Amino acid sequence: MEISIQNLIKVYGDYTAVNIPELLIHSGEGFGLVGNNGAGKTTMFRAVIDLLEPNTGCVYIDGSATNASEQWKSFTGSYLDENFLVGHLLPEEYFDFVGAIHGIGDADIKAKIEMLEPLFNGEVLGGKKLIRDLSKGNQKKVGIAAALLFDPKVLILDEPYANLDPSTQIRLKELLKMLKHDRGVTMLISSHDINHVTEVCERIVLLEKGNLVKDIRTSSETLKDLEKYFAGAGMPESAE
Amino acid sequence: MNPLLHIIKFDFKESWRSPLWHRKLVVNLFLILTFAYLAANLIFLGVFLDDILIRTPIDDIDFNAYGRSFVLRRLDQFLLYYFFFDFIIRYFMQKLPAMSVQPYLHLPIKRSSLVHFMLLKSIWSPFNLIHFLIFIPFMIELYDNLEFIQAFGWSAGFTLAVFASSYFLLFLKRTSDVDVRFYVALLLSLVSIIALDWFDIVDFQALSGFLFNALFLNPWSLVVPLILIGVTYWLNFKFLKANMYLSKISKVKRNTVSYSGNGVLSRFGLVGRLTELEFKFIWRNKRSKSVFMMTFLFLGYGLFIFPNPEYAGNYLMYVLFSIVITGMFMMNYGQYLLGWEGSYFDHVLTRNVSFKDYYMSKFLLFAIVGGGSMILSIPYAYFGWEVLVALFCVFLFNMGVSSHMVMFFGSMNPKKIDLSQSTVFNWQGVGAAQFMMIIPVLVLPLAVFGLGFLIWGNMGGILFLGAVGLLSLAGTKYIG
Repeated sequence: MEISIQNLIKVYGDYTAVNIPELLIHSGEGFGLVGNNGAGKTTMFRAVIDLLEPNTGCVYIDGSATNASEQWKSFTGSYLDENFLVGHLLPEEYFDFVGAIHGIGDADIKAKIEMLEPLFNGEVLGGKKLIRDLSKGNQKKVGIAAALLFDPKVLILDEPYANLDPSTQIRLKELLKMLKHDRGVTMLISSHDINHVTEVCERIVLLEKGNLVKDIRTSSETLKDLEKYFAGAGMPESAE
Repeated sequence: MNPLLHIIKFDFKESWRSPLWHRKLVVNLFLILTFAYLAANLIFLGVFLDDILIRTPIDDIDFNAYGRSFVLRRLDQFLLYYFFFDFIIRYFMQKLPAMSVQPYLHLPIKRSSLVHFMLLKSIWSPFNLIHFLIFIPFMIELYDNLEFIQAFGWSAGFTLAVFASSYFLLFLKRTSDVDVRFYVALLLSLVSIIALDWFDIVDFQALSGFLFNALFLNPWSLVVPLILIGVTYWLNFKFLKANMYLSKISKVKRNTVSYSGNGVLSRFGLVGRLTELEFKFIWRNKRSKSVFMMTFLFLGYGLFIFPNPEYAGNYLMYVLFSIVITGMFMMNYGQYLLGWEGSYFDHVLTRNVSFKDYYMSKFLLFAIVGGGSMILSIPYAYFGWEVLVALFCVFLFNMGVSSHMVMFFGSMNPKKIDLSQSTVFNWQGVGAAQFMMIIPVLVLPLAVFGLGFLIWGNMGGILFLGAVGLLSLAGTKYIG
């Protein structure tokens, strides 16, 4: 699944949240998005799956525009924030629902959840707690698991590591690596923390105030480069 | 199963699992009884609607000429007004249904199904149901009096008209912000229509009669309300489908707030600072702000009492009035004393502020708002200087005695307040303590006044109130 962003601009008042003239994410690519607060990471992801209306521009997944056809919904798993969960359901009920609307049978859902069990770290299932009463970290586990439930071809995760406990962070990384390697899932992952994305993504794009500043292949060289950027971000240019 | 069926099922689950049910049984019981009482009133109104209409003496429809459709014809004459008035109330009060579709936006469910779901759900609004409480008994009687097709035509037409009016309003509210000027314009046009009718310039009653009579006279006229509801539904659908984006759904208005430094209150030291912080808090949150604004609304309370000659020289009324004026904010705001800060109470606990200072700051807040309301009520002296004395003495009593009771009962409420909601019909955070509090805060000053009245008479009673308050003020080191 190839994702192509064309001339995407989103403006709030006189503030440009995202301005990406052109960006091509190849099929099966691990695409990491980094940047400081307000860099436009979330806005870009939301625009990709038609959750907000850009001022200009369009996003195509495999050639079909996400704002014209709703085709993408059937093969795109995403978790952006806890507002996309149904708070008054038990996690199990939510999984059943997501599975059912993707046309997955009950038995398959059970199997799938069992496979994802390590991710929950024993916290989410069988707790008789509604999703809205779970902690942020556990809500995130539910959201990520629901996004993975139906074997998506495209996976979009906004800050998946934030609020997660260390064990789950490590397991999630392993799981994502496996998905990318075995199934060729195209992944879009954002993070504040470069280290988290470099392990999973071979390509890292740096956003600054909505603009694409760096687009690099992951290597130890480029990592240093990025660290230097973040250490100096916000400093006057003349300091260099 | 169709995804939409899932969502409908979830919707029932949502109300069933709503935190509302976890409130104290007493509160729920009280609410249920209140609603049942209101509903019963409306149903009774519906049952006796025909009697009322027969006895209404202001029209010229001949009973003998129309026989069994007489009552309906009379009603139809007023229905245009009814719908107009209903629309004004809706414009003022009916909120856009909370759109809980976000969790489904990224899942494979068609956008258009979600929109249909939202629109159908909005039918289930109290502003629609209320009409049926009144008119279902009436409609049932209709089937006895008219032929089936006639009764059906009218009831179906009426139902569709209610829904069309609802959809039209929702479309209006979706596409434009609520504008007070529009509201005033609506009111003025209603008044002018009534005036035109009253002075026999334009016969709107006849027009109304013509329109609604058609529903039972000619079943084919049902086409009109059908078209109306079709058009209004379609307008909503079009608009929602094109605008179902996060930024538009959640309508989060990010207000910019300008920095305000330390004001006059900082001269009261730490306590003043805290009070100032609380004023900022009140002003910058919706629910607390509406409590604050309501205080100003109650300043007009005197206008309902004093012009009435029956109450002239009634000192008990003066006391009651003064309790409301100087204590309303204290009661309304103080009942959730700690609940207001519920979302950041940990902050309060970990700061370097003693609870004595904390309570003192609340006291100062009550004193400022209560005193301010008292000063703003000075014009009521027009109705006699005794009013001023009463205001001042009750203010002293409120500060000296009632404020402690409010803080005592208020601190017994452990619920945190959801700040983003308005106060109207908002029962979130209401507990038994609130009902318990009203009694001493209202009754105690009246009792103290009564005691003073028995010994020294009217003025004596009021001064006694003030004296008790002053003594209590001087004698207490406040709570802490």
